[in-house]
Amino acid sequence: MDKPRVAIFDFACCEGCQLQIVNLEEELLDVLTLIQPVEWREALSDQSDTYDIAIVEGSITRPEDEEKLREIRAPAAILIALGACATMGGINKLKNNFAMDEVRAEVYGKDGSMPHLNTLPTRALDEVVKVDLKIHGCPINNREFAYILRCLALGKTPAIPNYPVCVECKMRGTVCRYEYNEICLGPVTRAGCNAPCPSAGFWCFGCRGYVDDPNVQAAREVMEHYGKTMDDLKSRLLLFGSGQEPTS
Amino acid sequence: MTIKKIGPTTLERWVDSLIGQQRVFGAQAQGDKFAFAPLTQAARLRLDYDVAVTAPKAFLQPPCETLLRFGARGYESVLDTEPFVLFGVHPYDAVGILQMDTVFAEGQPDIHYLTRRAQATLVVCDVQNASPNVFAGCMNTAVLEEGGDVLLTRINDDYLVEGRSAKGEALMKALASEPEAEAGDLQFRKMVWDHNRQLLRRHELKVKPEDLPAMLDKSYDHPVWEEKSKRCFSCGSCNLVCPTCYCFNVREDVRWDLQNGERVRTWDGCMLTEFALVAGGHNFRRKKAERYRHRYYRKGKYLYDQHRQIACVGCGRCIGACVAKIANPVEVYNRLAEGPR
Repeated sequence: MDKPRVAIFDFACCEGCQLQIVNLEEELLDVLTLIQPVEWREALSDQSDTYDIAIVEGSITRPEDEEKLREIRAPAAILIALGACATMGGINKLKNNFAMDEVRAEVYGKDGSMPHLNTLPTRALDEVVKVDLKIHGCPINNREFAYILRCLALGKTPAIPNYPVCVECKMRGTVCRYEYNEICLGPVTRAGCNAPCPSAGFWCFGCRGYVDDPNVQAAREVMEHYGKTMDDLKSRLLLFGSGQEPTS
Repeated sequence: MTIKKIGPTTLERWVDSLIGQQRVFGAQAQGDKFAFAPLTQAARLRLDYDVAVTAPKAFLQPPCETLLRFGARGYESVLDTEPFVLFGVHPYDAVGILQMDTVFAEGQPDIHYLTRRAQATLVVCDVQNASPNVFAGCMNTAVLEEGGDVLLTRINDDYLVEGRSAKGEALMKALASEPEAEAGDLQFRKMVWDHNRQLLRRHELKVKPEDLPAMLDKSYDHPVWEEKSKRCFSCGSCNLVCPTCYCFNVREDVRWDLQNGERVRTWDGCMLTEFALVAGGHNFRRKKAERYRHRYYRKGKYLYDQHRQIACVGCGRCIGACVAKIANPVEVYNRLAEGPR
């Protein structure tokens, strides 16, 4: 069987997720046994309009992005959203808490009204085109990327956790941030990262997005118990949770 | 069986000699908490710990373990056959392990658990400091009447060391020339046990544990399930910290050749949304309240119906681990005891 042709594209983001693929390093040759990359800005000088799988990182923030994403989608049998910006808008959605004129003035000052700096409220890929699979995280976990790739090669549905990060903290024997009266987004955030942040003594940012059925109401109700306010909770949800749509 | 009395220096020397002979996992400080971890020197052992963050069952059923490796030519089971000592297990956690012994041996015996278990020597240590949420005193698990391989009890500055099995006696060989415990020491140990039965009651269960199954039998439609579970994150923390929870998930992953791979099992928990998800997308405990109720029934009735043992040992870990503060079994069982409302 011919190896599927894979093209990797990027929109508004830091390109750290495709860098995570490059970071597979010694396993990159193994990756090449399963796929044939035909476009991949960080690792390849070639470009191509014909491919089977499009892997897209970044979020949609400009009118021309929308058009470009539709063009990318058209020939692809499978479109994979790579990383938080692509799966849920990521931190780019912070912008959506402000008026677009305000945002342009803040960033570009008096040039903000120039037409080529036009900007739209941030959207995740699936708010524009059909997305077949989401690879979560900021950045993605490249072990998970590799696993997903192998599953696809076998024609098998990858098992992406639909349980909170707490599960992975418990498996690692990490003491809960709430025991130190610190707000952590772990209880509403999709696991799969192996909880590196709480295990390093830091609260979960929620970069993999919510689980399918997050109990955000419970998160609100428990604030008082930990001597926190709704504003404290909101300030933590803002980073990755601004206007977040379901992530499954 | 022998009961020796040894001082702190002898204890340290003994533990250090064990470390040289086999893997020893002992209770140690980890930040401001305690955890079982590979012991590199006896001086790091903290037998005065209140509770270990993770139940020591994790050394018998690890959070993630390879069950078998497969390839084009078939498969091969992976078994852990290296001897090890779990040093300083509290009685309630030992009861948890004894219950897992029953569960993994019945039906289709679980060779992965049983092989590892056969290599384990369990050194139980009576509790010296009560943790904030322990209620083992209410569950009859504050003291381990029988079982385990060695039992340590602190008597002032000394320790009584009781061999409780052939394996335990073998571990105590190095103590052969130490003095036997005297009648007065045993009397003192009895006092420690009585004291611990009272000390380990940070929450007071108003029903006798043996009455829980009958009480639960009448409580299936009690409003408490719906009420409490509204706040449930379905995060499974109460399951995963529990010394008697043993449920697992099994997954396979292949290498890049797509031929060779591993079958891996990981901890699972009945509070997780997809725990009861089966083929065809059916979930037979779809609602939070159903899952929440199931956990209490599992601990207080279902396993009792099978093995005549209440599957809650009163360690109190779930109480601390639950962010929403809805996982306290004492609170729920006391509420049921008040009647139907």
